[in-house]
Amino acid sequence: MLAWGSLSKTDVIGAIIVVALLATAPFVGSRYIIGIMTVALCYAIWATSWDFMSGLTGRENFGHALFIGTGAYTAGFLNVSFGLSPWWGFPAAAIVAVLFSLLIGFPTLRLRGPYFALAMLSAAVVMQKLSIIFSETTGGQDGLNGLSPMLRSQVSAYYFTLGALVVTVTILKLIALSPWGTILRAIRGDEATCQAAGINVNFYKICALMISAAFAGFGGALYANYQLQVGPDLFDVALSINIIIMVYVGGMGSIYGPVGGALLLIGLTEGLRSFSEYRLWVYTLVLILILFFIPSGVIAPAWVRLRDWIRRSGATFARRANA
Amino acid sequence: MSALLQVEGLTKRFGGLTAVKNVSFALQPGEITGILGPNGAGKTTLFNLLTGFIRPDRGTIVFGGAPLIGAAPHRIVNRGLARTFQLTRPFIGMTVLENVVVGCLAPRVRAEGHTEARACDMLDRVGLGAKADLVVDALSYGDLRRLEIARELVTRPKLLLLDEPFAGLGTSEIEPLAALIRQLHLAEGLTILIIEHRLREFMQLVRRVIAMDFGEIIATGTPSEIVRHPRVVEAYIGRGGDDLEARLGVTTTESIRGTA
Repeated sequence: MLAWGSLSKTDVIGAIIVVALLATAPFVGSRYIIGIMTVALCYAIWATSWDFMSGLTGRENFGHALFIGTGAYTAGFLNVSFGLSPWWGFPAAAIVAVLFSLLIGFPTLRLRGPYFALAMLSAAVVMQKLSIIFSETTGGQDGLNGLSPMLRSQVSAYYFTLGALVVTVTILKLIALSPWGTILRAIRGDEATCQAAGINVNFYKICALMISAAFAGFGGALYANYQLQVGPDLFDVALSINIIIMVYVGGMGSIYGPVGGALLLIGLTEGLRSFSEYRLWVYTLVLILILFFIPSGVIAPAWVRLRDWIRRSGATFARRANA
Repeated sequence: MSALLQVEGLTKRFGGLTAVKNVSFALQPGEITGILGPNGAGKTTLFNLLTGFIRPDRGTIVFGGAPLIGAAPHRIVNRGLARTFQLTRPFIGMTVLENVVVGCLAPRVRAEGHTEARACDMLDRVGLGAKADLVVDALSYGDLRRLEIARELVTRPKLLLLDEPFAGLGTSEIEPLAALIRQLHLAEGLTILIIEHRLREFMQLVRRVIAMDFGEIIATGTPSEIVRHPRVVEAYIGRGGDDLEARLGVTTTESIRGTA
């Protein structure tokens, strides 16, 4: 396990370059590409928020879709059923997702063993069933349709999503670098030792889950307001698992890595369309190879190596210039 | 003088096994006391009861004038009772410095600020200053023991419980660690309760020994009294054993003083 304990000038410059590259997309990409990328940025927000709780504390959450789905449905209800402006969906979605996180996290996070992971998994499944059963209010399999758009053009929706991602990653990374992050990583290391150091482990775990849920719910509302549609697939186990894979590929516990993981895997899914029916075969094979041979992930470890190389060559250059 | 720690009738059963049976003792401030006993005597269970990791079935624990039973482990640490673990449990994947910083973030001492500087000072004191930026996975067993003690000391305990601090250490690692413990006791008047089942190093460190076997206190006294106590001898080398002191080649504080 690598330690992601510090942030340098090179990291900040790297992040700015990546955001600048993403911001140029509307100038070079087609409408289709921009659509795919907006969805990928939503996935990035979900994956980053998963990483904040589970990557840092090591308590895996197998039902992150619970927060995404409740957030998206909250935004959908407010918009479709109550006719409120789409913007109300964001704070409301975050609050509802946090309430759900307390409902699951409070009783199960204090227990040792897989109870938290299983409770999250089953809660998401239960919510999916409920959203289908109560079809009169939820629209059943079809979900809620015809949300009024929050922004007029597709490009502005893309920039709004990109901005939301930047804010999410910045806030979560700053918390992860603060003493809070140190404590969360210590919980991952050993809970009993943490208690012996005087840390209230349950408090920090529940807070981390609440923060994670808030951003996931917000991301759910973002997705709903972009797609103008909410469906039971947002509670799907496959979505939860996909997010976990994105975090693994990106680099667990790094916060920024999952962004790359999400972009990479969504890009891979799209790029493999030419393989038509063999697409899922190739996708799965690539995933297995990555998880098997590079279990620490691709994006974050690759960046750490590149950064160290830049620093070393920068230092060499400075020495030569001085000589 | 009122006792810092007062334990009365402490009992813990695990199914049919009584791990700790009616244990009563008191620790005075500034005292360094040992708990001696063969494997399975209930020493670590006693520590877990004192630090809130396990709840006792019966008995009372009073620390610094207030009852302790029912408090969560982290609250007990914040009241000034810290412990180390028999098997060192560092925060894997984090650096030596970060491991100690976590102790500085305990609510009671967090307000003091300067977390990193305080953690660095403590690492210098336990002799790990040069290794502050290493990831703990790379440390030797002896260094991990020092790290454990450093992480507990930054929480500013009034009473430090050390669970077999010398277990698994080579002879060259034991002496500096014993010197550190002695210094904490002498220079700062820290009250220390220390578990050990190896006699040699232990006997030179403590003034008073509580001997346990099968969950009960079987004897209390100075180290030289304890090694001659018939029930302790029986617990260690069986009935009809010789003098434990001669058998194990133990040098107690008293016998050192005797020769001086």
